[in-house]
Amino acid sequence: MTEQRGGRPVSASQRPTGTDKAVVTQKKQYFRRKKVCRFCVEKIDDINYKDVRMLNAFIAERGKIIPRRISGVCAPHQRRLSDAIKKARNIALLPFAASI
Amino acid sequence: MRVYEELFIVKPDAPEEEVDGFIESLRSSISSAGGTLDKVEKWGKRKLAYRVERYHEGAYVLLQFSSDKADTVKEIERRLRVSDLVIKFLTVRIDHTLKRLEKRKKQREKRAQRRAVAGPAPAQPSVAQQMLGESAEKEA
Repeated sequence: MTEQRGGRPVSASQRPTGTDKAVVTQKKQYFRRKKVCRFCVEKIDDINYKDVRMLNAFIAERGKIIPRRISGVCAPHQRRLSDAIKKARNIALLPFAASI
Repeated sequence: MRVYEELFIVKPDAPEEEVDGFIESLRSSISSAGGTLDKVEKWGKRKLAYRVERYHEGAYVLLQFSSDKADTVKEIERRLRVSDLVIKFLTVRIDHTLKRLEKRKKQREKRAQRRAVAGPAPAQPSVAQQMLGESAEKEA
């Protein structure tokens, strides 16, 4: 599990953090800021389903959970995050499907 | 000892005294089932994210209780289900989470102390620690 297959990039949490060193993709010449896991950087241990304000940052307009390839959250934290969002949905703190 | 959190939504038009009375009745049923009610938190009225039983808002109440027996939860959930005041509820067991958080907090304190005393961080932390402490070490 720890080995990297093929040319897959290292997961977001293992990449160097802090700097926004540019990543130049092979063909398209544009700069991309490196994504970091917010929970690792800010050292948030508790991802609680009652903290609606925090969870709101990780759901899209329609109420969907934002994938970690976009938000940059590391896998262990994304797991806890999705659990928390699902609990919050169950008690009507967050919508299952929001109308715009 | 198991620790539980019970978050439930009360109808917005229910009178305050009735809600208090209901919470008291829950307290007595918890203690008669061999547990203790540790915390009661009323959040007040909030807008619901979706419609529940034709209501668009509700009063949230958070209880924290601990018990040795699994029957306590069964009994509490039964009472919530039967009650006319309550429109939705959620039970979460939190003792594992609390334990994990406590452990994590201790770890962080220890690491901060070590860094303060010894200066540079130890050469070879384990893989699990590396992931946690990576950002911390960068700062040092």
